[in-house]
Amino acid sequence: MVKVGVGGGTGRTRRSGARRTSRLIVAAACAAIAAYGVSWVATSSASTAKVAAGAGSGGSLTVLLNTGFEGAWPSGLDPSTDTNGLANQDMMTSIFGDLFQLGPKGKIIPDLATGYKFVDGGKVIDMTIRNGVKFSNGDRFTAAMVAKNITRDLASPCTCSPTSAWTTLAKTNPVTVSGNVVAVHFTAPYGAFISSIISSDANWIADLNALQTMGASAFQNAPVGAGPFTVVSDTPSQEIVLKRNPGYWQSGYPLLQNLTFKTVANDEAAYEAMQAGQGQVYIDASSPQIEAEAAKTYKVVEEKSTSPYDIQFNTSIAPFNNIEARQAIYYATNAKQIDDKLFNNLFPLTESFTAPGGLFYEPKVPGYIGYNLAKAKALVKKLGGLTVNFFTIAIPTAEEATDAMAAQWQAAGIKVTTANYPLAPLISQFTGGKWQVALQTAGAWDPAQGVGVGFRFDSHSPFSGVHSTQLDTILENAAGSTNLATRKKDYAAAAALIAKEAWGPFLFSYAPDQIFAKNVTGPGLSIPLPAVAVSATVLWQDVTATK
Amino acid sequence: MSASAPASFDLREGGEARPRHLGHRLAHSSLLRVLGRRLLAAIPVMWGVTFLTFLVMNLVPGNVARSLLGATATPAQVNAYQAKLGLNHSFFVLYGNWLGNLLQGNFGNSYSSHAPVTSTIAAQLPVSFELIAYAFIISLVISVPLALLAARRPNGIIDRLSMTFSMAGVSVANYVLAVVLVWVFADVVSAFPAIGFVSIGTNFGENLRSLTLPAIAVGLPLAGFYTRLLRADLLEQLQREDYVVTARAKGIGPWRVIVRHALRNSLFGLITVIALNFGTLLGAAVIIEQIFSLPGLGNGLIQAISNHDTPVIEATVLIFALMTVGGNLLADILYAVLDPRIRYGSTTE
Repeated sequence: MVKVGVGGGTGRTRRSGARRTSRLIVAAACAAIAAYGVSWVATSSASTAKVAAGAGSGGSLTVLLNTGFEGAWPSGLDPSTDTNGLANQDMMTSIFGDLFQLGPKGKIIPDLATGYKFVDGGKVIDMTIRNGVKFSNGDRFTAAMVAKNITRDLASPCTCSPTSAWTTLAKTNPVTVSGNVVAVHFTAPYGAFISSIISSDANWIADLNALQTMGASAFQNAPVGAGPFTVVSDTPSQEIVLKRNPGYWQSGYPLLQNLTFKTVANDEAAYEAMQAGQGQVYIDASSPQIEAEAAKTYKVVEEKSTSPYDIQFNTSIAPFNNIEARQAIYYATNAKQIDDKLFNNLFPLTESFTAPGGLFYEPKVPGYIGYNLAKAKALVKKLGGLTVNFFTIAIPTAEEATDAMAAQWQAAGIKVTTANYPLAPLISQFTGGKWQVALQTAGAWDPAQGVGVGFRFDSHSPFSGVHSTQLDTILENAAGSTNLATRKKDYAAAAALIAKEAWGPFLFSYAPDQIFAKNVTGPGLSIPLPAVAVSATVLWQDVTATK
Repeated sequence: MSASAPASFDLREGGEARPRHLGHRLAHSSLLRVLGRRLLAAIPVMWGVTFLTFLVMNLVPGNVARSLLGATATPAQVNAYQAKLGLNHSFFVLYGNWLGNLLQGNFGNSYSSHAPVTSTIAAQLPVSFELIAYAFIISLVISVPLALLAARRPNGIIDRLSMTFSMAGVSVANYVLAVVLVWVFADVVSAFPAIGFVSIGTNFGENLRSLTLPAIAVGLPLAGFYTRLLRADLLEQLQREDYVVTARAKGIGPWRVIVRHALRNSLFGLITVIALNFGTLLGAAVIIEQIFSLPGLGNGLIQAISNHDTPVIEATVLIFALMTVGGNLLADILYAVLDPRIRYGSTTE
């Protein structure tokens, strides 16, 4: 049994309590933490170095969100029915809090849970639920309610449901409760459990009694959680106004009195609104020009990237069922030049699916084939020419990179046709099975979850062009192990195998930026956090807007 | 301005001999019958709009389940969600069901929020309506005085300035104008908000402030167009019509001739264009609402299209069509109000 978390404690107020807790517990925990590589800390938000002046002392903030992603919540904010769940993570975390949060440097921060442990060789995960917590309406926050929520989430239509990641979940009684412990049962060890919780809607616990009373429609527009804020008003996909939850379990928090999320059309509209004083924070800016302009007035902080761009091959059909065709693309692709010329060298180059903000980061992979134009030309000549259809998603960053790569490939004698598709037709390309090569992203904070390595390289994924039982086995072992060192070794092996078989060149790991007023501080803003899914989740209870 | 009167109207001289009350004239003329016919003719138009919209939404790639579940959803998850929404039927069955519900006054529920479409539309409609009304007011407040001043002294300095303004107004796209307005009046001067909407019920002053820049962005290009149109019409009246010569011969002052006589006739052309512009304005509102983050029909339509939320799209498009048809009907009624000589002849209708 590997014990990773320790129950008890009372959040920030428990800092002093934790110090009083015997060093023995810390020492014992450290061994397990070191083994798993997840440094659990007694402070629920270690990032907040300064002492809080008191709940509500941090002023008020208006946060601007892009309508194309974070700023859309058409199906409301009930964790189980919000099909846009992970995109709405900032709002969800503010209202519901989290069982576990992802802190600076990838630290797992117990929030509404106090810890977790692996039982039965990693097949069962026990989560200890914090005692004495109440929902914002005064209802008790219990382990039974957590279990009910998780069970409900398993039937959720959102792809943020843990169902897709929990492939080895026990068929009968997968979620059980004993006292203040919620146990989740699997048929095989599942070391990536906490990562999967953090990147799923199971992390947000709703008051299902309030849901029963209010009705589904009213609840999704004014959900009740145990997070740091409560809903004042909600105009779906336009604006949600929150205020401090006076019954929040952590004494002295949240620091903000009011928190408003407002939708804007794009980066430019967000910047204009900030200039007009209508917003102090803009989440996930992606326009270099706007960011450069904003940096004159505001703080611009790059999030910790977790998802590198990669070139996917469909290895089932010609021409990329031939390893030499794939190698020609490896040799013809100059990632450094694209990063330099298009993105001012902003993003770190990588040779695998890991990135600086995520677990198991390893930028160099043994046997990885780098840029070599002469070899690319030679291979193309040997193949008697190479003609490819190259596509990507219709967003500016990807389109620009695709065009640049097409030019590089043409320099090697490859004939390239490019196409950019919106999401739906892009997916149709994958499901149709006739695609050849695509520019996508592959990677996540934990490679086992989300749009991680399995999403792009596992045989079972409809978005994979690789069909290798050898790679599948390595990835399954990597996700299952409860030992961090073992997992790191497995992912290194997976990266080496991908390089050896030339299944996908990797480029660089892109990350959006946070733009915010200079008086705003907090983890996820002034202190970069790794992206959980696409972007980092700001720990709003710790954010303050006072100097 | 007889030249501007629509061909379908029977303009009979002498009708003004016995001025009658508007209600009386409406009741005893064929106006109501004509309007009834127009409304009946609008039914197949409305049906065509709904059918084509449904067809287009069915033909575009993707579906509501895919849109809502996102890129990581597997085909199995997408199919299951489609079934859950009751969308795993043929196009004609789905359209027939929707149309059947519509005929019973039921717009259905949104696929994404599951809320009744009527409540969604009811929340968005006042925002768009207010924006369009405000834009119309701005465009008329600018264009009518400017056209009068320009027509008073053709080729004078005011006329040349007004033509420069109107040319610029017609040439600049409203979304470009919107960005400039935000930069100047929200960022530099801080007189108006850059984004957001305050309802009338919350604060009337703030409501006007929140809609001023969007309304200018929509209304200013229109003002340019209307100024050109009205100026040209006024000049034609002043230079060619006998009643103007008569009025001048009677010693009536030039301003009085323009305002009391020429303008009234010239308004026919303007009303026709305004009515036809209604649809254009709705299109402009879609873009402008997005830029200014206004929770109106246009913004809702964009989101609904993104989500493949057909019930919301259908309802919104239907309302747009109704407003366009309604605008045209309103113009017909206003003709009768402005010119008592107008009668609606059964033969021409």
